[in-house]
Amino acid sequence: MEANAGVIERDDFCSLAPIGWLHHKMQDSFFLVVGTGSCQGFLQTALGVMIFAKPRFATAVLDEDDLGGADPLDGLRPIVAAIVAEHAPRAIFLASTCTPEILKMNVAGCAPPLEAEFGVRVYPCRLDGFDAAYTQGEDHVLQSMIARSPETDAKNLVILGCLSALEEAEIRIECAAMGLPEPAFLPGESALDVPPLGPNTVLASAHPYLFAAAAYAQRERGCPLHKSIFPYGPDGTRAFYETLAAAFGKTVSYAEREREAWAALASQTAPLRDKTIVFCSDAMLELPLARTLRAAGARVPVVGTPNIYKKFHAAEIATLGDVEILERPDRFVLFDRLAALAPDLVVANLNIANPLEGMGFAVKWSTELTFQPIHGFSGASTLFGMFAATLRRHEALAARRARDGAPGAPIDLGFFHLAGSSR
Amino acid sequence: MKLALWSYQAPAHVGVSKAAASFGKLHCVVRAPKGDGYTTIMLAMFERLGVLPPLSFCAMSEATLAGAAADLPAMLREIDARESPEMIVVTRSATALVLQEPLDGEVAMMRPGDVKAEIFMASTHPVRDNELSAFARTTREIVEHYAADTPRTERPSVNIIGPSLLGFHDRANVESLRKSFDALGIEINAVLPLGATPDDLRTIGRAWVNVPTAHELAKPTLDYLRERFGTPYVNELPYGEAGTTRFLRELCALCEIPAERIAVAARDAKLLWYSRTVDAHALSSKRVGVFGLPTAAAGIARVLRDELDMEVEFVGTYALDYGDWLRERVRDITENVIVTDDYREVARAIDRTRPDIVFGSQMERHSASGFGVPCAVVSPPSHILNYPLGYAPFIGYDGANHIGDLVNQTQVLGLEHHLIETFGPRGQGRFAEAAPEPAAERGDARVPVAAGDVATDDVRWDAAAERLLGRVPFFVRKKARANVEKYARERNIAVVDEAVMLRAREHVGG
Repeated sequence: MEANAGVIERDDFCSLAPIGWLHHKMQDSFFLVVGTGSCQGFLQTALGVMIFAKPRFATAVLDEDDLGGADPLDGLRPIVAAIVAEHAPRAIFLASTCTPEILKMNVAGCAPPLEAEFGVRVYPCRLDGFDAAYTQGEDHVLQSMIARSPETDAKNLVILGCLSALEEAEIRIECAAMGLPEPAFLPGESALDVPPLGPNTVLASAHPYLFAAAAYAQRERGCPLHKSIFPYGPDGTRAFYETLAAAFGKTVSYAEREREAWAALASQTAPLRDKTIVFCSDAMLELPLARTLRAAGARVPVVGTPNIYKKFHAAEIATLGDVEILERPDRFVLFDRLAALAPDLVVANLNIANPLEGMGFAVKWSTELTFQPIHGFSGASTLFGMFAATLRRHEALAARRARDGAPGAPIDLGFFHLAGSSR
Repeated sequence: MKLALWSYQAPAHVGVSKAAASFGKLHCVVRAPKGDGYTTIMLAMFERLGVLPPLSFCAMSEATLAGAAADLPAMLREIDARESPEMIVVTRSATALVLQEPLDGEVAMMRPGDVKAEIFMASTHPVRDNELSAFARTTREIVEHYAADTPRTERPSVNIIGPSLLGFHDRANVESLRKSFDALGIEINAVLPLGATPDDLRTIGRAWVNVPTAHELAKPTLDYLRERFGTPYVNELPYGEAGTTRFLRELCALCEIPAERIAVAARDAKLLWYSRTVDAHALSSKRVGVFGLPTAAAGIARVLRDELDMEVEFVGTYALDYGDWLRERVRDITENVIVTDDYREVARAIDRTRPDIVFGSQMERHSASGFGVPCAVVSPPSHILNYPLGYAPFIGYDGANHIGDLVNQTQVLGLEHHLIETFGPRGQGRFAEAAPEPAAERGDARVPVAAGDVATDDVRWDAAAERLLGRVPFFVRKKARANVEKYARERNIAVVDEAVMLRAREHVGG
């Protein structure tokens, strides 16, 4: 693993981004971000606020008084009053961002008095744009919910991570088939739904970016860290279910199920066989996706990923063998690898996807992977289909452009420097 | 603290970025947390750049909080080596301002010759400036930095001031003006910031006249160039056919050339004729509201009133500093001038006046649709739809034609609405019954999806599976239902439950 020294330019987003899916999942929630106009600009740009009549997220924009050290509670009180009057949320997520962190402003400390005053649960969380991958915003939101979980000694099962109804249904059905307790999901449909946690709880994370929440549950509720690879692809799903069963003292084999699943995926995996795929750093999904693509027959020589937590990711890293893993890579270090490897497919986020396509690479935009239901056996078709479809499209279009002698040259800056002047 | 749900303007560092990155051979560096870096995504996505944009974020990290110095020099060296810009403009976001890092000091301590590019610290204030003021001021600062004494060009020439990357239809606007200037024999000395290089800026004083495309973006630069070189600028706004003619007449006078050739430039202009045609007669009874950037709002309001004879209910802008400017410009059109940066206040004005058409930004399009009022988008804030592949200018004669098309398209919809209101939806239903639905549109699970596939009612769904299907996004739900039923039929499964549905997803996707 390469150290992250000498990073000059990074290509990832702000951890406010998960508000986009979390406020949809928890329909009775409101997300109040304490930050700058830039936080607000990110939310409206990234989450397309204009499509919502009454968005259930907003920014308390810090002014010069706040920067000068005013008590944040005084500023937040009327804002929370307005939100409660307008939206009547059952819970408010009060998010501290970069600027309050720099100012050492005690945003979290405002949560208890606001909760007491307005009678609405207030979860303090930290969603900043420093080092966290954008998906880790979900991690910090879930951590704040776990802090309010009832304690229990029961042997219960909690699946950690925001999932679609389809993904939850598969896990529910498989747990019933294995004779495990009915799983609780965190987050659920309500922001007040926080399952009880304790030393006998099996708390399994469905996403690879929920280390802080899992570690917090371990520290504060004694939940053992669940050690498995993550349920992406038939290989990951099999291991995930078998590990769940083992945590309840059962031995279950999903070997035949995995074989069946791979067989059903043949048309999506065949185009990936022996193709070279490189992951640029984005959502922290890179390690498990590289693992299952390799299992499907692709070559993945290099994986960039924003943050690695050694214990939490140990099982995934163990599967990756000689794959070069670049933690929080510099943009140009990755570009040098791409130039040398000339991969068939590059997985990259929106910051660099079009420029990479302009450089001649076939690009799968990675942000989509966060929004699609790709978990489990039932999501594998969607997962591999996205990669296969991108490759097919790229190859088909390139062949037709070559046939017709029409290169489809990318837009460069010269395109804008026109105006019929003497140049 | 102030509650913000949505803003018309981005923060100051975005204004600096748009201006600085638009100049040719310049690169912009923003000191900020990586979370502030979404301007590069907008550049890459909206402008569909197939190259890295000349904009970089020097990311603050947890290490910065712990006292580590900015690695600004390393980033400057990297950009210098890769891009060889003539200048690197450095600014910071509000978050970086709070940290009060001595960025100037870091740059000052770099060895002479360490980077070939000149390093320029933008003077805008990350909190007190806004997107527009930061854009306008940065453009002026960079012009001021390079401008040198130079003789006037022999033939009449202009600088076009205002267009930029992430601007509103700016490339097309420049092209539209260029066509008219070509017809008049007026040279373009420079377009800025869009594409103007330091060499262009050194000879910026050669132009006879300056032409702003948006006063709120160009004003400080216009003032500077008038003070420094005595260069006049055109006051008329090039919106509409008559407006463009007035604008060109003023320009011709300043260029000391005969105005007769304007007719050549105007030969493809059709807006005023369209307005005389019977199609457009109904426009006199139509009431409109206009809201956006001040120049666009003033220009569009005048076209609608003077050239199409529509009734203007209100005009407004979110550029608070330009309220008086706008009032003065539309004094003879309406007294109802709304100056606000709260989109809800504009929505209330739409609700109160219920105009037939709103001309506004993407936010007004959204607000107006809530009241069932059509909206033509004529100003930023933009949407990817405002970055069309084709040619869609808003200014000059071609822009006038485009505005006419927008009005026309919006009105056709309005008339259809009117017919439906008069005759009720029954009229629609009859047509729908009479005309065979295109097969591709149906996509219903009961319809055979392929030859040999028999439509049957043999597959039932249990309640849980129906609920789960309801959770599938609506736009793929029909396909998902068809896929699941096909899967079930092939395996003689009579009842679809959740497990069957998930198995089907696994095998056939969807």
